[in-house]
Amino acid sequence: MTSRRHLLTGAAAAGLGAAAGAGLVAAADGQAPAPAAAAASTTGTAIVPFHGPRQAGVAEDPPAHAAFVALTLPAGTDRRGLARMMRLLTDDAARLTQGVPALGDTDATLAPLPARLTVTFGFGPGLYRAAGLQPPVADLPKFRIDRLEQRWSGGDLLLQICADDPLTVAHTQRMLIKDARPFAAIRWVQQGFRRSPGVQAPEHTQRNVMGQLDGTANPRGAEIDPAVWNDDGSTTLVVRRMRAEIEKWDILSVADKENAVGRRLESGAPLSGTLEHDEPDFTKLDASGLPAMPDFSHVTRARVTDPTLKLLRRPYNYDGVPNAAGHPDAGLIFAAYQKDIARQFVPIQQRLADKDLLNEWITPIGSAVFAVPPGCAADGWIGEQALT
Amino acid sequence: MSHRRPVRFLLAAAAFLAVLLPGVPAWAHAQLVAAAPTRDATLTTAPTEVTLTFNEQLNPDFTTIVLSDAARQRLAASAPQVSGPTGTIRLSTPPTNGDYTVAYRVVSTDGHTVQGSYEFTVADPSRPAPVASAPIAEPTAPPTPADGLPAGAFIALGAVGVALAGTAAYFTLAGRRRGSPPESR
Repeated sequence: MTSRRHLLTGAAAAGLGAAAGAGLVAAADGQAPAPAAAAASTTGTAIVPFHGPRQAGVAEDPPAHAAFVALTLPAGTDRRGLARMMRLLTDDAARLTQGVPALGDTDATLAPLPARLTVTFGFGPGLYRAAGLQPPVADLPKFRIDRLEQRWSGGDLLLQICADDPLTVAHTQRMLIKDARPFAAIRWVQQGFRRSPGVQAPEHTQRNVMGQLDGTANPRGAEIDPAVWNDDGSTTLVVRRMRAEIEKWDILSVADKENAVGRRLESGAPLSGTLEHDEPDFTKLDASGLPAMPDFSHVTRARVTDPTLKLLRRPYNYDGVPNAAGHPDAGLIFAAYQKDIARQFVPIQQRLADKDLLNEWITPIGSAVFAVPPGCAADGWIGEQALT
Repeated sequence: MSHRRPVRFLLAAAAFLAVLLPGVPAWAHAQLVAAAPTRDATLTTAPTEVTLTFNEQLNPDFTTIVLSDAARQRLAASAPQVSGPTGTIRLSTPPTNGDYTVAYRVVSTDGHTVQGSYEFTVADPSRPAPVASAPIAEPTAPPTPADGLPAGAFIALGAVGVALAGTAAYFTLAGRRRGSPPESR
């Protein structure tokens, strides 16, 4: 719902387009407004505030497009260099997210439609080590299902760039990389997408490329704060690239897919229930005595009952170029926010790695962890608490 | 032209089968090939374990075998011990006289979930008849609400659940609206 508020404030701040303005006036006069024009204009001009005690890009409804950019610091990087880089990148993000060109923006015409742009900074363990600090996050343990590739793993600095428009994401990615490259090298970039704005009601659970509703068990409303945010406004992020073995997945019947996930494909309801948000009942038995929720289904294995141990999943689909045989290169950029990776993410991932039928059709090929420092005030910069 | 008809028929039949075939690769799925106790057996001695053998290797991670009595109470048993194509559960207590259902859920090597069930009866002449199918051992799972409630109550419970879910959804949404920026940013 934040999005709707931002949509309105954003539109007000940036000024409605002529057509939309006319539409509103017409509506006030009791005539039919011009809904198409109004919708187009407000999606583009919607603004998410940048400054505040927490970084944006975590708890909001995820925009439709994202780029995750991981950078590697060269040897010899010190705390002062990091502070210079973060001052610069914070200034870029503060401007671009508000629809204002970055300083020295070489394509200033691309800035005025932020489309709910957020830029979220994450610090990998290596950044803290370069600064001579104890890293608050540690690399994940190895899981037996992992087939990690170097080109999708690790990173000292992460830029999570999200917006409802891919051109906005592209422009922001370019501006930020331009200013970051004197300080760091590109390690990997992962670009992903969700449904476009207006396709579904906000906060509808998304489908991933495998057709599953993804994120049903996310913490909601008042559950988010205790699961995600530390008192100082920081959080942590795990980014995993999950390749979908779609050619194998396609062979399955709907019932097979549902047994692997533990939910109905169509409704997302647990196999023990009828509605998407029914609590899965792991004690429910079918007529033959088998548990309605298979012991080895993804939902059964991933389940946490303590809401403070939940993960805030903020995943994006990816769909690359098929190979010569026509096999897709598709999957999920699994991004999860939580207070504490070791306490929340690792136990769930361990249970899934030990036994989860869905593992037959998903393969982790990338993995990275980041601390997400607190947000900053208008005269501050991201990382100032650690790096000054 | 009439001599061509059988040819046409055969071609049509072949095309028909070709369409059907990819949908029925039953040979690729795990199948139960042997069981002890056997299907529909009447045993004069209570079994101490249930052993199921399939036509392909079982994955211990994805093998579920349960034994339930006539009241659909699950009997306490070990986790399935898997050896090659065979899965065994050991019963904590030998079942008393009565009807029992063995149910299994296994995953074929190609990822298909295969499940099924069969019944057998224990009728040991040296043991007393079952006492109104009371659970013999502690069930590993509590009974489902459907066991003890008449259908009307179940529907009423469902209606209450839907109403609660609706109310919760309303308050969640209302709460989000109130709690917009800055704390939710």
